[in-house]
Amino acid sequence: MTDDTAGALRSSSTPASKLGGVDNVGFRLARYFTGRDALVLALIAILGFLAVYPLTMLFYGSLHSTPPGMAGEFNLDGYRSIMTASNVIVLLNTIGISLGKTIPALLLAVFLSWIIARTDTPYRDKLEVLITLPFFVPPILTAMAWGMLGNPQVGLLNQVWKWATGSTVSPINVYSYGGVIWHQLQYSTPFLFLFIVDIFRAMDPSLEESSRMCGASRWRTFRAITLMLMLPALTNSFILSFIRGIENFESPLFFGTPAKITVITTEIYNSINHRATPDYQYATALSFAIMALMFLLVLWQWYVLRGRSFSTVTGKGYSPNVMKLGPWKWVTFGFCVLFFFITVVLPIGQLAIGSFFKFFGFYSYDMLTLEHYTAVFGNSEIWRGFWNTMLLGLVGATATMFLGAIVAYVSIRTRWRGRRLIDALAWLPWLMPGMVLGIGFLWAFAMLPGPIPIYGTIWALLLAYMALGTPVSVRVMSSAYAQLSFDLEECSRVHGATFFQTLWRILIALAWPSFAVGWVLAFFGIMRELSASILLYSVGSEVLSVVLLRLWSNGQAEQVSVIGLFMMLLVIVFRWAQLRFIKSRISTL
Amino acid sequence: MAAITLENVSRHFGAVAAVDNVSLNVEAGEFVTLLGPSGCGKTTTLRMVAGLEQNTGGRIGIDGQIVSDAAAKFFMPPERRMLGMVFQSYAIWPHMTVFDNVAYPLRIRRRPANEIQERVKGALRLVEMENFADRPAPALSGGQQQRVAIARALVFEPRVLLLDEPLSNLDARLRTQTGDEFRSLQKRLGITSLYVTHDQSEAMALSDRVVVMHSGHILQIGSPEDIYRHPTSRGVAAFFGSPNFLPSQVTQCTQQANGSFLLTLDGPGWTGPCGCSSAQPAGAQVVVMIRSENMGVSTDGAVQAADAMTWKGQVVQSIFRGTHRSLIVETPAGRLNIDVPAVTNPETGSTVTVVADRQAAWATPA
Repeated sequence: MTDDTAGALRSSSTPASKLGGVDNVGFRLARYFTGRDALVLALIAILGFLAVYPLTMLFYGSLHSTPPGMAGEFNLDGYRSIMTASNVIVLLNTIGISLGKTIPALLLAVFLSWIIARTDTPYRDKLEVLITLPFFVPPILTAMAWGMLGNPQVGLLNQVWKWATGSTVSPINVYSYGGVIWHQLQYSTPFLFLFIVDIFRAMDPSLEESSRMCGASRWRTFRAITLMLMLPALTNSFILSFIRGIENFESPLFFGTPAKITVITTEIYNSINHRATPDYQYATALSFAIMALMFLLVLWQWYVLRGRSFSTVTGKGYSPNVMKLGPWKWVTFGFCVLFFFITVVLPIGQLAIGSFFKFFGFYSYDMLTLEHYTAVFGNSEIWRGFWNTMLLGLVGATATMFLGAIVAYVSIRTRWRGRRLIDALAWLPWLMPGMVLGIGFLWAFAMLPGPIPIYGTIWALLLAYMALGTPVSVRVMSSAYAQLSFDLEECSRVHGATFFQTLWRILIALAWPSFAVGWVLAFFGIMRELSASILLYSVGSEVLSVVLLRLWSNGQAEQVSVIGLFMMLLVIVFRWAQLRFIKSRISTL
Repeated sequence: MAAITLENVSRHFGAVAAVDNVSLNVEAGEFVTLLGPSGCGKTTTLRMVAGLEQNTGGRIGIDGQIVSDAAAKFFMPPERRMLGMVFQSYAIWPHMTVFDNVAYPLRIRRRPANEIQERVKGALRLVEMENFADRPAPALSGGQQQRVAIARALVFEPRVLLLDEPLSNLDARLRTQTGDEFRSLQKRLGITSLYVTHDQSEAMALSDRVVVMHSGHILQIGSPEDIYRHPTSRGVAAFFGSPNFLPSQVTQCTQQANGSFLLTLDGPGWTGPCGCSSAQPAGAQVVVMIRSENMGVSTDGAVQAADAMTWKGQVVQSIFRGTHRSLIVETPAGRLNIDVPAVTNPETGSTVTVVADRQAAWATPA
């Protein structure tokens, strides 16, 4: 729509095309194939390289008998080798664990959202910030912290329990199904909360009030109206969270692997890193299997949601019904604080404690030391990892957001040819877990012609991060553009601004808070990324998460604590800055 | 017996009084409209009757039963008040069909299935929507949603029907039609209705009585004609259209049989009697309201009625409005707004005689 106007304006401003009845072909071609098409083609090329190329190489790899770059033959051995009984267990583990964490996380998230959006619980605005904080903490940190807290031999929680009860039995063992689920639950709950709390807020209160007027009690109204109206959105977030559960790598790696619990992502990882010779064909075939699973889930999502999204949001600034809880408001307040305490304070506290003692688990006065701090600050490898992470975070987040902003603009606000293709390409990495994308890029870089040495450099990680971040950045920017009425742009054009002036003075001026929110999200995403990094790093291009994992496997939990503490600090500073300076909450996600 | 009773009802938000000391009786079968500009407390008053908001002062009774008493800290939740309500946004639940929407109040009350069938059909027939029963609610137009909302509010035969600006989301033509239909339905069923609107013509056309509210207070309660023709204050007079106000001085005041007062006034360019709602001492300043449609112009200076009020003046503006023509005439009494038949077309700048019907004049305190 916008661009039709743009086109009309442009053609009327070049009288030659109107008056000169017979244009020459070259001129017409030049006019027809202009910057717009060049931009579309460039976008298709970039997105194709980021999504289609690794996917193609992944498929190639699954059919090729030898690792990337070696002579071999094409066969179906990869697919044959994944058809084993143990992989059925792996599949069941994957689905079972993801369901096992998604259901309680959804219930918890609905309850927390209700507390924050619909009750008079004190300090709701502050609680909301605290509840969502765990989502921004890199999972590898809390995984390590919980590894120390819930260690069956020397875990802090078990020690406290034994000290308090005099018992000799350790009640908690995080190296179990329960541990894997517990760790994922801490991330899924705030993730779901961010979706659900806004649905609660945006609902037209008269839909509920009319139910009360019809004689339904508060509870009946909640069940028959509120929940039913939210059902499509809840289903959507349930499937999203379930998909993320299947993609998850950190939790099963830390808590599943020691207990011999394997899920698809760790099975892929093990087949490359923990075998005498990496079995790439097996890994790529398995990657394709997981992608097929994801694809089925997305199809299911479409099927469930088709035509069922109720627009209960009516643009009006409603103040939603707030329930007065009386003295119970302190119970709900306590519940939120407890959630924050368990998901953030406990792990940070563990890291803080762990960093000051010689050996983790032995907390006595004479074990106090600062040697881990000096060791960490004197370790050039850690510093290199830190600077790599910062560089990749700054460059990667900026590049991802610019790409996302342009893709979203083309697909939402124009009617250019090829915009649907661009949108689909940008969405494609959404189907690929980090681990799968990592393998895809591994092959993709190895298959590049010689003069392009991406493999083994920091650029490999940058490209992978961009691919992983683009679906989110496109979504953030799409929702930002969708909120801006076309009138705003058209009005600017009518009042004499050119296309680019309008872009700069209207669209960017209004959409930049979303851009900033998306940038911080992308930065966090890069900082926490482990599964693709672990496959694509090489000496010199290690990132912090990889360094942490290596230290942890070497048994240096104390140094891990020091680094973890600083990363947590960084997260909190960023999050604070985001909330402080980007006040207009266009979207928290 | 009054179907709805409000006794000194107030609603305070902190220090701000949204509704201040409102008292009102609505008789059984009566159609009463709360009318006022936005923010005058009319919707809050309605919501307090509904139980969706709690009054911070006073008592509310429905059908002789107290449903809310601030002093006794008694508050009956909305679902137990047995009221029907139509919301401004209609609040038709989008996840249900038309039938399910209307059947909801009956299902809540656990009525048997065949009774639900019958009564929902009946309610839908009442609003001429029986053919839409199986439609999903989002597939309805605004006017249809409004009818479903009315059917839903009526289906369980509530004691009182509350309506919160139910016509404001419809386009102008549909608004009049739906309003008239609803009024005849209300008369037929004899259901007590409390209606909120900011549209004066809607209030005029529908109500038995109109309650004019302003900043949390009731300004006047009366029949539409009474409120329109005999306002007790300048504020009420100004709320309908843009009448002319002529500042005048009282020379004499006598009470009349119907309770109103007859003043003898000395105004700019005229003297004579004029009705007023309240007693005014001699020498007091009042303003006389004359509505623009009760004034006319005569180009040849001839005046038919002997006791008509007249001024000479110059036409400064003339606007053709289709049904009539709006003139502004500069006279010794000030600039007067006059609505004349569209065919009367005095030239701008010409001198005319303005004639006002003395029966239409009404004095209010200045």
